[in-house]
Order: sequence, then C-alpha cells, then structure tokens
Amino acid sequence: MTQTLNRPTDVDDGLTPERLLRAYRTMKSIRMFEDRVHDEFATGDIPGFVHLYAGEEASAAGICAHLDQDRDTIASTHRGHGHCIAKGVDIKPMMAEIFGKITGSCRGKGGSMHIADLSKGMLGANGIVGGGPPLICGTALAAKIKGDGGVGVAFFGDGASNQGTTAEAMNLASVWNLPAIFVAENNGYAEATAAKWSVSADNIADRAAGYGMPGVIVDGFDFFAVHEVAGEAIRRAREGGGPTLIEVKLTRYYGHFEGDQQTYRPRDEIGNARENLDCLKRFRARVTETDRLTDAQLDQVDAEVAQLIDESVAEAKAAATPGAADLLTDVYVKY
Amino acid sequence: MILDRGDDLPVVPGSAIGVIPNPMSGRDIRRIVSQASVFPNTEKASMVLRILRAAGTLGVERVLLSTDTFGIAAGVQREMTRLCNARSTAHLRWPKVEFLELDLPTGTAADTTAYARIMAGQCSAAVVLLGGDGTMRAAVPGLGDTPMLALSTGTNNAFPIMLEATVAGMALGMIAVGAATAPETRCKMLHVEVRRGSGRVDHEVALVDACVSSTVDIGSRALWTGSSLRELYCTFGEPHGIGLSSIVGRLMPTHRTDNHGCAVLLDDPAHAAHTVLAPLAPGLLQPVGVSQVGELLPDRPRPIRERRGTVAVDGEREIEFGPDDTVTVTLRHDGPRVIDVPAALGASTAQHALLSR
Repeated sequence: MTQTLNRPTDVDDGLTPERLLRAYRTMKSIRMFEDRVHDEFATGDIPGFVHLYAGEEASAAGICAHLDQDRDTIASTHRGHGHCIAKGVDIKPMMAEIFGKITGSCRGKGGSMHIADLSKGMLGANGIVGGGPPLICGTALAAKIKGDGGVGVAFFGDGASNQGTTAEAMNLASVWNLPAIFVAENNGYAEATAAKWSVSADNIADRAAGYGMPGVIVDGFDFFAVHEVAGEAIRRAREGGGPTLIEVKLTRYYGHFEGDQQTYRPRDEIGNARENLDCLKRFRARVTETDRLTDAQLDQVDAEVAQLIDESVAEAKAAATPGAADLLTDVYVKY
Repeated sequence: MILDRGDDLPVVPGSAIGVIPNPMSGRDIRRIVSQASVFPNTEKASMVLRILRAAGTLGVERVLLSTDTFGIAAGVQREMTRLCNARSTAHLRWPKVEFLELDLPTGTAADTTAYARIMAGQCSAAVVLLGGDGTMRAAVPGLGDTPMLALSTGTNNAFPIMLEATVAGMALGMIAVGAATAPETRCKMLHVEVRRGSGRVDHEVALVDACVSSTVDIGSRALWTGSSLRELYCTFGEPHGIGLSSIVGRLMPTHRTDNHGCAVLLDDPAHAAHTVLAPLAPGLLQPVGVSQVGELLPDRPRPIRERRGTVAVDGEREIEFGPDDTVTVTLRHDGPRVIDVPAALGASTAQHALLSR
C-alpha cells in the first residue's frame, strides 16, 4: 500500500501529443501492414501461413508504449506482426521475412510465425500455442537478477490460456515474484473454437487469483484504457511488485489464418466491430475532440505509413530468396 | 401472512420480481493499484439461487432473470435442474423463472438498462441488482417507478449494500406478495450536464458521487489517486464508506436521507492547506487536498471550475471536457426508489409476518 502513497498523479501517464502521435503511427502501421499482407497473400506470392492482427492494434500499441527496447522483452504468438511493430522491429525486414526473402528479419527462413529481433527485445513470434509465457519467465528472471528494472511481457491468446505452459509460467512468475506481465489477448476464438465454450473460467483474468497475482480485464478497442492498465502493471513489476495478468478483450478482423472461411462467427460480428468499436476510429475521435492532435497530423501519418508499406512490399518482392548456400547457416545461436 | 404450522405459504397470483446480476462487475484496474476483490460469477449465480429460494418460499409466482454469456444464468439453470432432479431436494418450491434475452445485447451497461426496462414493464414489484455502483447507475433509466434493491458484489461500492442474498430475497418476496411495503420516496441523484462548444448537450447521472479530475482521458475509467482530484459532489458520504464518497465521510458525513448533498473543492495534496486521508479504494488510503467543504443544496446547478479534465460518475470516468464546454452538477431528489431492507423486514416483523399461529 505504501508504494502508491503520495506518488504523483498516475493517470495522466505522460500521453503528450508526441507520444500520442507515435502510438497512432504504431497502430496505423499495424493496420496497413496487415491489410496489405491480406491483399498480397491472396495473390499467392507469400509462402506459408499468415495470421493477421488487424483489429487488435490497441493492445500491442498500448502495452509496448511503456516498454524500452534495451531492457524489456516481449514474447509473441503466431499472430505476431502487431507485437513486432509495436516493439520497434523494422517494417521493411518484417515484410521481406513474410515474403521469405534474404533481406528479412530472419534472412527469410522464419516467415510470418518466426519473426524475431533480439536487438529490439522481441523474442519472436511463435508457432507453438502457449510457447511464449515460459520464455518470458526466463527474461524476467534475468532482469530481476541484473536489477535493471526490465520487464518481460508475454502475449498469448484465449487458446493458449488453456495450455499447461501458460499455467506453469504464471505459477513460476508468481513463486519467483518476477517482473512479468501476462497479456491474454482474448479475441473470442482459438482457431474456430469459441472461448465461451473452451475457457472454463468466466474470464481469463479470473484465473489470476489462483496464481496469486492481480487479474484485470480491459477493453481492447480502447488504446487509452489498455495504456493505463499496462502502465500500472508494468510500473508495479518494475518496482518489484511481481507479475500481473491482463485480459484484453478484443476481436480480429480477419480469420484465424488467411483463407479461413469463418463459418463459426456470427455474420455481422466483424462488420459491427469495424463500424462501432474500431480502435483507430476511437483514437482519432478522442484526440481530435480534445484538441490534442489534428486530423491533418493524423492524415499525414496515414500517408507516410502508406508509403512505407508500399516501399516495403516493393523491396520485398524485388529481393532474392535464400539460396542453397544459406541452408545450414543461422541454424544455431552462438554464445 | 400468518402461517399455519408446517404449511407452505400460498403462491400469490401475479406476484413477480426481477433479478439482474452484472457479469462484468469487479475486474477493473483497481485489482492492480489496490487490493480490490475479485467477485466470481459462480458466487453471483449462487446469490441468485438464494434469492430465488427465498422468493419461492414466500409465495412469489414469477421471477424475471437477465441472461448473460458469462455463466451466471446458465449456472442458475443448471443448479435448479440438479436440485429438481435430486430426490432429496425435488420437493423444493421454486418460482417460475423466466430467462429474459435481449434482441440486441451489447455487452455493455446498456444491457443492464434494457433489462431493467423490460422488468419494470412486466409488472415486477421490485428489481434486485447484483453489482457495484456502476451497475446500479446503469439500471436507473430503465427502472422508472419500480423499486430497486441494490446488492453489492465486491468491496469497492458505496451505494449497494453487503447483505446475504437470502435476506434480500425475503425482502423482495415480502414486497412482491404484499407482506411488506416498497419505499415511496426517491433517493437523491446527481445530474451532470455538459454543454459542448458544438451545441451538443451530454447528460449523465450519479447515485453517489460526481468527481472532477484533472486527468484528461477516460482511460481505464477508475479513479484512485488523490492528487488528480479537483471537485467532488456527493449525494451522501458515510464515515464507513469506501471510494470517493469516503472523502465526504471523513469531512462532513452526509446521510442518504438528508435533504442536501455535499460539495468539496479539492487540490493537489502537495499544495493544499489541508489534507484528509481517505480510503479511495480497498486497501488504499490516499491523502486528498481539501480547500472547501459545504452543503450541496437540491435543484441548484453548480458550475464546475476546472477547464479541462474528466468527470467520473460513481467512481468511473465517463465524461471528457475541455475549455469550450460548460459542465454543471445538480442534486435532485429524483433517483430510484431504493428498498431499505432492514426497514422493510422490520416493519413486517412488527406485523408478525412469518410467525406461525
């Protein structure tokens, strides 16, 4: 209790116009990146699978806005593009990686589900459902031992919330009092299985009590709500308060994977979310109505991001694919 | 309502009550910044069952129950079915339970309003709400003249009361069958009116408090830090209260039945002449800077001083305003009719209700 007594206001949380503009750029970059990958995938030029994050931008942007590149780490999921962008991974190598090109983040060998950039504290997208939370226990333990105030953030979905790895990681984080944040991005479906059916708890956040940590639900369509909740959880973790479970309720605008017919979703679900809940629309309305940013500023970001995405696709298509000589390189990490 | 020894009470034709448990209450940011409790939905389902048992025993014919996708209504139905099928409990008398469904559920507070409106329209003698201050506020526009019983599901509430659900069900049941009377008077309520620079007028109500904060974003809605608070208007503030109204409880206790409310001008505790330590959230006593305290008289709109910030109603930031907006707070005696359980049951005890011959 004393840790919060007399501290300065904690709810203005430093959202200066510059930071708001940066947050908008992050969300817009994710949206345009994913919309473009959606289009490009349909042409057949992208190998493998892609799982798109469009609609969920406020979660990655609201949480990663509090993270440093040097001391904080995140672990992502198969739906990882948004987390990568929000953590600062460069967009052009990301796009090249998805196209399987040698200029990609992982030299074209990982693809969408394995984009990683350790220099940015991005441990990787992860094709294993529930693969991220145990990794974060490791980086959070390292941060605790080093005493640098770093935190580890594990993003996972409602499907992964039912995995043993996630349960073990939350238990370990609590037992070791780690600076770890568990972010359950509940978009309502584990592939085609509804969370209402497959998650035994009323809310994923309710499970936090069983691990001895706080559990919070936040509106994933509202950047400001996510940002505030994440700020408090991360501050608490940095100060030695231990782990937190944040359930972000949101929806994805595309299928589980590209090509998913989504027959398991109500017909109007996505249209309603796009029309009435969209995080980018809400953000724009909020910041312009309160005179913190202008439409002209936001439009300029839109144009800059659109150009960046165009360039990233053009450069990715023009780049070479890995050759036979690259087959056995980058297989193991040297320590 | 005098019993013959061992007899069941007769079912009273046409008697009905409504039950609205809020499945989403009790999971906000206060779980991180304070030690606020988590109230599981399984317990809410159990509370509903206890209300049903009490109402059924007292002869209530019909109970209207809101439905949800978080397992409360489903849990009630499952347990009722189990009890009805088990040999040892098959004899229990239940009211006829109607599970209401909305045509277009939103998953927001609007669903609470909609359910309250349906229940009020279907001749419920009273509606019991299970939730926090926000749940109670959401029900108000739908209730009309129908009395409410406000039952707390958590540790962070000022308006609803902590009470065993069985006893709440007794009070509701006795009102529904005519063995106790519902309150005639309305409680106090705050009206927050925002005249926008664009000409639009926004309106919110609060059952307990309206608090002006220098915080500019609605964000995660809750308020828990004393340093951002600038003005506080309360319908009541009890010395044993929790949340923002506890500031009034510490400075100038104001009762639910008083004609007036209370207005407090606040400041950053680092600059204020006086501070008061108040329990703004469970486990979280915060210093709050105080510059002025006084009565808030009914029907007198009070313009707020702050030029930019948010207004929290019943502890949740709902309104953002800026220099072009005019915000007023008005206390009125036009709130819901709220059932006082001790008073209702006390009066029925005096009439020897539930006492056998």
